[in-house]
Amino acid sequence: MTLLADIVLMPLIAFVTGLALVLMARRVRARIERRVGPPVFQPVYDIVKLFTKKTQISHGVMHDLSIVLLLGGYITAEIFLPVPGFDGLAHQGDLLTLIYIMMVPMLGLALGVGSCANPNGSIGISRALTAMLAYDVPLAVAVIGATMTYGTTDLVKIVEIQQAGGVATWGAATMPLLAIGGYLAVHGMFGKEPFEIYIAPAEIATGPMVEMSGKYMGALFVMQCFQLYTIGVLYVTLFLGGGENWPAFLLKVFAVVFVSIAVTNVYGRYRTDKVVRWMWKWPTGIALVGLMLVLARQGA
Amino acid sequence: MSELDFLLSFAAVLLLGMFCCGRDRRAGWAAMAVYGAMILAVIAAGARVSAGQTIPSALSFSILGQKLAWRMDGLGWFFTMLTAGSAFFASWYAAGEWGRAQKRMKRQHILLALNVLAMILLVNSGDLLSLFIGWELVSWAAFAMMAQKGGPATPAAFRYMIYALAGAMAVFAGIMIVHSITGSFAFDAFAKAVPSLSSGVLWLLFALFAAGLGVKMAIVPFHLWQAPAYSETPGASSAFLNAVSARMGLFALVLVLIKVIGLKTLGGLSLPLVHVSAKTLLMWIAAFTMVIPTFIALMQTDARYLLTWHGIGQGGYMLLGLLVGTGLGAGGGLMHVFNYATYQMALFLAVTAVIHRTGTSDLDRLGGLITRMPWTYVTLLMGIIGLAGLPPMNGFVSKWLIYRSLLDSGAPFLLIMAFVGTLGTILSVYKLIHNIFLGRLRPEHEGIREAPWSMVAPMLALGGIGFLTGWFPGLALDLTDIAQSAIGAPVLAHTLGGVVTPRGALDMIWLVSILLAAIGFGAIVFYLMGNRRYEVDQLNNYAGGHFLSPDVPYQFSHEFYPGLSRVIGPWYRGSIVRLERAIGTFADVAGDLWQGLFRVAWTPLYALFAAVIALFWAVNGGMQ
Repeated sequence: MTLLADIVLMPLIAFVTGLALVLMARRVRARIERRVGPPVFQPVYDIVKLFTKKTQISHGVMHDLSIVLLLGGYITAEIFLPVPGFDGLAHQGDLLTLIYIMMVPMLGLALGVGSCANPNGSIGISRALTAMLAYDVPLAVAVIGATMTYGTTDLVKIVEIQQAGGVATWGAATMPLLAIGGYLAVHGMFGKEPFEIYIAPAEIATGPMVEMSGKYMGALFVMQCFQLYTIGVLYVTLFLGGGENWPAFLLKVFAVVFVSIAVTNVYGRYRTDKVVRWMWKWPTGIALVGLMLVLARQGA
Repeated sequence: MSELDFLLSFAAVLLLGMFCCGRDRRAGWAAMAVYGAMILAVIAAGARVSAGQTIPSALSFSILGQKLAWRMDGLGWFFTMLTAGSAFFASWYAAGEWGRAQKRMKRQHILLALNVLAMILLVNSGDLLSLFIGWELVSWAAFAMMAQKGGPATPAAFRYMIYALAGAMAVFAGIMIVHSITGSFAFDAFAKAVPSLSSGVLWLLFALFAAGLGVKMAIVPFHLWQAPAYSETPGASSAFLNAVSARMGLFALVLVLIKVIGLKTLGGLSLPLVHVSAKTLLMWIAAFTMVIPTFIALMQTDARYLLTWHGIGQGGYMLLGLLVGTGLGAGGGLMHVFNYATYQMALFLAVTAVIHRTGTSDLDRLGGLITRMPWTYVTLLMGIIGLAGLPPMNGFVSKWLIYRSLLDSGAPFLLIMAFVGTLGTILSVYKLIHNIFLGRLRPEHEGIREAPWSMVAPMLALGGIGFLTGWFPGLALDLTDIAQSAIGAPVLAHTLGGVVTPRGALDMIWLVSILLAAIGFGAIVFYLMGNRRYEVDQLNNYAGGHFLSPDVPYQFSHEFYPGLSRVIGPWYRGSIVRLERAIGTFADVAGDLWQGLFRVAWTPLYALFAAVIALFWAVNGGMQ
């Protein structure tokens, strides 16, 4: 019964929190640009508006199915991602599983965009996948280093280990270099400047989104909510001690997303190959040094 | 007659039958029935083999006082099953329209039967000498299969033969060294002698066997032959070669290095000064085999080459898992052999279906076929999800097991390599499916129809096996258990849904069921909520101010990852292509020299040599 509640509630919480994260991102951007920013319920209005729009253009079965896969993939990911009070299915799959589930919506989106037959969309996906290859390498190093430290890939246990001794046992305190490398990768995962090569409105007309209108766009909006939430929670779980209680947990998640959003507005956009080079050089290098320190400590 | 005798005689009878009446229209169906019967015989043998018995064969003979014998143990059983299964699907696929469209289908039937016979002989060999005989048979049978079509396949097959012969010589030298030490060809005697061997001899044996047997599975320094040789082979045969033939090298490596010499010995065998053990060395070779061919695959523009290069890369995962040697590692490695056979065969058959309809597998000359060949698309999609190792397909489970075993054995850098290989695979398989099925349909492909059911059904069946063993991985792990206990690796404790380890669990029944339920929920949200959607023409889309029309060909397919190829391209073009060309040139030069020996008019010189030698022999008392 608890499990059923988890399965229903975890994606729902993720969605609501994700809406708040999107709102925060827009408000922060507005303040930087000296605007007031949208009202509290603007993300909800946007989704409702997009779903009820008159122009709902479909480019075939795969285009429709991609939206379904995208929603399904993220909902599944939320159920495998433990949060305070909810373990969900975290014991039936682990960190490695979660990372791979998170690729399912990516693949679904890629297939759908490809079937739209728009070159801009295809270029966008090509760039998005290249960016994924770029930021997943440092992320993998950070994740592997973290699991070597904790000795488990069970997300619930990882949180328990970090909460055993307060801030001193947080991942960020015990392995700061991995946390830094991982954070840079996370910033790439958010797809914000300077790594927003696959959106690039001025070059490729927003890339994957170019043929998305109406509820297709609405679903992408929902995806963005899930994405901000999932990445934020994953980072908090790995390096910031998870959530002792809900207020602390949400504070951390919002902080992770806030830092990324706050710095992103001052950047331009890298070229695709620059993203790959930068990601493979700095975050990967920092994380590798961190990993070696972890190994040296374990060997000692 | 034991089950093994049944299997061998089925294969032999089929070979003869195909010689007689392989041209008949029903030959393909008959072959499929015989392979089906072979699968049943393998299943029948399963009960005895899983109880730890070995099944003897009546086939044996003596040569130079050494008795050669064949028998089936768990490892041989596992690979026999894969062989028979792959042959079954390959002949099913070829039985209908595809086979009728081939120019020389009889030859393909014969060669498939020959390969199956040779492979069953190899994987069930009872001693080192019968292993070598099987090894040579498989090499020649595969060569015949690759060279059958002529054209660009011939030089590739010839290059394969050079590699294979060099490898066979190394293996033979190793076997002879073992024989001179133990005085016998038996595996047991070899295994017993291993602890008493000096590290110099062990290193020599390790190098000879690893290099000689590794050639066939195309581990990294020897990886250049496989892609052209396999890709140019006709479709169904190529799928068979890709699915199991490439794994014969893995089988022999596992048999000699893991079962007979033992991972413990390899782990204790360390290079002086640098303290790298033979096992670690081989693990790193496997790691490079995962990464380098995967990124070469990413740069390919032909669907067949892309898949074959991935096949080489996937071999690295299997070897790596098996070398870790724990229950998780060996189980993951062997399960990956099984999974790979299912999805790689599905992928290759799907690409062959595309070639059958469009006449090309050039990724720059296809696109948008999803509307014309939807079932082929579904097969290819299932295949690439398996190849990329994403849930819910079976490839995810075996890769998860391998990752898990690397984490548990404290090898983070190898795990990073495995991860990087997987990421490269995701990029490359998306390019594959995008350039064939997504994007814009080319005008000349407007009239394309779906492949016939005789081709689609085996493809979908293979995809279905991949999905089922992903949902219920216990089914496949039951099979690998048998092979695992035969090579002396600990058996992986598992449930129908996956494994539970103290440091992280995986339950695919939950995962896939939740994923399906969530996708169902997503479907409700998407299809039932919001306004009505309507479908538009393919060309009705926005291209940054330019409107696309039928006369503007615009499919983004050539150089699909320009940003990435700017980073890794110089590596690819610089080192790999140049090395490959150098080896190709060397093979050509060596071949020319060899030809020159007998073709150039030096006949008098040879006659003179022969006369001198004869005279020498006669003078030295040869006549008495």
